[in-house]
Amino acid sequence: MSLLNNYFSNHFLNSINFYQTKVLAIILFLLPFSTILFSQTMNIDENYFSPKNRLAFGNFLFIQEDYLRAIEEYKNYLMYIDNDTVRFKYAESFYRIGKYNEAADNFKSIFYGSLLSDEAKLAFYKASFFNSSYNSFRDICKMEGYQSEKYAKDINRLFLISHLMDESILPDTNHFLKAFPDSTKNKVRELYMMKKFPSKKNPTTAMLLSMFIPGAGKIYTGEISDGITALLTTGVLAYLAANNFKHEHNFRGWLFAGLAVFSYAGTVYGSYASAQIYNAGVRLNFDNEVKLYFEKRNYLLPKINFLKTND
Amino acid sequence: MTAQSDWVKWDAKEISYEIHSPTHHDYTIDKSSFGLRILSYARNAYYYFISDVDGDNCPFFPSCSAFFIQSVKESNIFRASLMFTDRFIRDMNLFKNNNRYSLHATKKYIDPINNYLLEEKRIILTTGEFIE
Amino acid sequence: MIKKIVLFTLFLFNVQVNAQNQISIQYEYAHNLMKTRQYFDAITEFKRTLFFDIDKQYSYSANYSIGECYKAGAMLDNAIQYFSIAQYNARTDDEKISAQLEIIKTNILRRTTERAHQILNEIEKISSINKDSVNYWRGWAFIFNDEWKEAANSFAKINPNHELKKLAEQVDMDKVSVTFAKVISYILPGSGQIYSGSILPGLISLGWNLLSGYWTVSAFNESRVFDGSVLLGLIWLRFYRGNIQNAGDFAVQKNNEISNKALRYLQHEYKGNRP
Repeated sequence: MSLLNNYFSNHFLNSINFYQTKVLAIILFLLPFSTILFSQTMNIDENYFSPKNRLAFGNFLFIQEDYLRAIEEYKNYLMYIDNDTVRFKYAESFYRIGKYNEAADNFKSIFYGSLLSDEAKLAFYKASFFNSSYNSFRDICKMEGYQSEKYAKDINRLFLISHLMDESILPDTNHFLKAFPDSTKNKVRELYMMKKFPSKKNPTTAMLLSMFIPGAGKIYTGEISDGITALLTTGVLAYLAANNFKHEHNFRGWLFAGLAVFSYAGTVYGSYASAQIYNAGVRLNFDNEVKLYFEKRNYLLPKINFLKTND
Repeated sequence: MTAQSDWVKWDAKEISYEIHSPTHHDYTIDKSSFGLRILSYARNAYYYFISDVDGDNCPFFPSCSAFFIQSVKESNIFRASLMFTDRFIRDMNLFKNNNRYSLHATKKYIDPINNYLLEEKRIILTTGEFIE
Repeated sequence: MIKKIVLFTLFLFNVQVNAQNQISIQYEYAHNLMKTRQYFDAITEFKRTLFFDIDKQYSYSANYSIGECYKAGAMLDNAIQYFSIAQYNARTDDEKISAQLEIIKTNILRRTTERAHQILNEIEKISSINKDSVNYWRGWAFIFNDEWKEAANSFAKINPNHELKKLAEQVDMDKVSVTFAKVISYILPGSGQIYSGSILPGLISLGWNLLSGYWTVSAFNESRVFDGSVLLGLIWLRFYRGNIQNAGDFAVQKNNEISNKALRYLQHEYKGNRP
């Protein structure tokens, strides 16, 4: 670079007079500064790691959904300049990669004295909803100082939905349904009722049924072919035992009798387990349905618009 | 352009050229107690002399013998026998309920011992296809 | 007037050269991170290079390097994605071909060898391409699909005495026939296992078949039809069927061991180009 400058300047110096040389010297002296001046107008700062460029690059990464890298850029930016929008995006990046704890903490830092205070509170509750247990989420909902007037209804709805996600005591039906918009009321009522009155099978009933008729308990839990197989196996073994005793094959008699007892006891045991598996299945299906329904509708929360644009 | 795998910082990793062939049986000896050690030897003998040469008969994962050893470890010999008997009867059922079990990579029905310890919280269901 | 123009040009030139310096320093920085195997951070810096590279002079090389980083981190889908972007941004045929070769090699590693063959067939039509290199990678694609005979044929097209041709040929010769192992087990239980080198399991299998066969036949001879049927159904048939199935399994296992031995050599000792 300096070589090039020298070449040009030498060439010129030969052909210009002293006055011109003075002007030229000033210009040459100022030349390096032109880069800064010009590049700023072109938005290419000298230093790619300046806060401004960090932010520009971070926003680009955010849009590319490359959140972990975006976090690094935002973090560096925030070390020099405090900006609520950037703070929000920083926290949001944590949220989007599933680091709910960090997300919640960072949203909290925009709670007070910020134009984004309400949005931050909403996002904070959303992050807390996914972070750790629903129980602690509900505790947070009751805490003072975190309430947002603007999004109170949305946060309350999230509070109610959390009751469908775990084994807590359901709020009163009317109070529960009142919080949901009409378009979702029917489905929410259905889910609420499924949660309140799950179609479960009683393990003890299953066990008792199999005690009377081997395998009947399994049929009760919907495992029809397992139940029939258990009945046949126990029956055949008992028959073989009786038959061998009858023909005085005592060893075989005892052998089959022992197997028959095992088969009977195993079936009784298995029927209890089968009812439990059935119930676990009911719960899993319900959980999946609830999750799918609300996930698809973003938990009925409003979208935060400024996150979509490159600002 | 999503780069989802970059959401966790990663390091260099070499890809093995080798063909991965699943081993049929786990022959490791459980040394946690004398009883389990004897049982593991018995299981290994069963694997070598019978299970390996009588074909792939068990439709479940883990196989019946592994299921038995695991249940002894988790409970006691009496309860393990009941669990094993129940498993064996379900094994004999020719018309298995496809909705009840999810499939393992080896195309076997996943049937972990956790589901039979009579503790509902420990039950593992891998898919939501259990009931229609 | 001329002086003014020259001065202004100088001014612009200065800006341009400075910006160029800056971007090339950034690119070098990313490259050094890659050289020191800090692939995750290298990708960040390559992305930064691309973001600030207004003249798009690194659109090819930075994307190519991002592909290399992902490949080193075993994230082959991402690697292929970035090699494809590099290919799209290639300025010369050579650049295009080397991006395509990387896509082929990554597909080989990913074991999507069908795609590798497809691209190899496409680039073979380019006149400037080195045919040896096409055949070389085709051979590797066959190896990764466990087709050693075809691999040997591909390497032979480069050189009849090619090192990898000899290796692939040897592997192909050493392998046992799965079908043959199964067929002879139909006739004599256990023979398939013995053929695959598992002598003791073969003998155990034969023993079980003889024993259960003897029990079954003697039960029927003594008119114990129920015992005979149970023995036949639950024991003898089980061991007979199992024997055939196992003869196949043992043969496959043996073949895998043979392939793996060669693959281990290729991965850790072979000095030539690897995918």
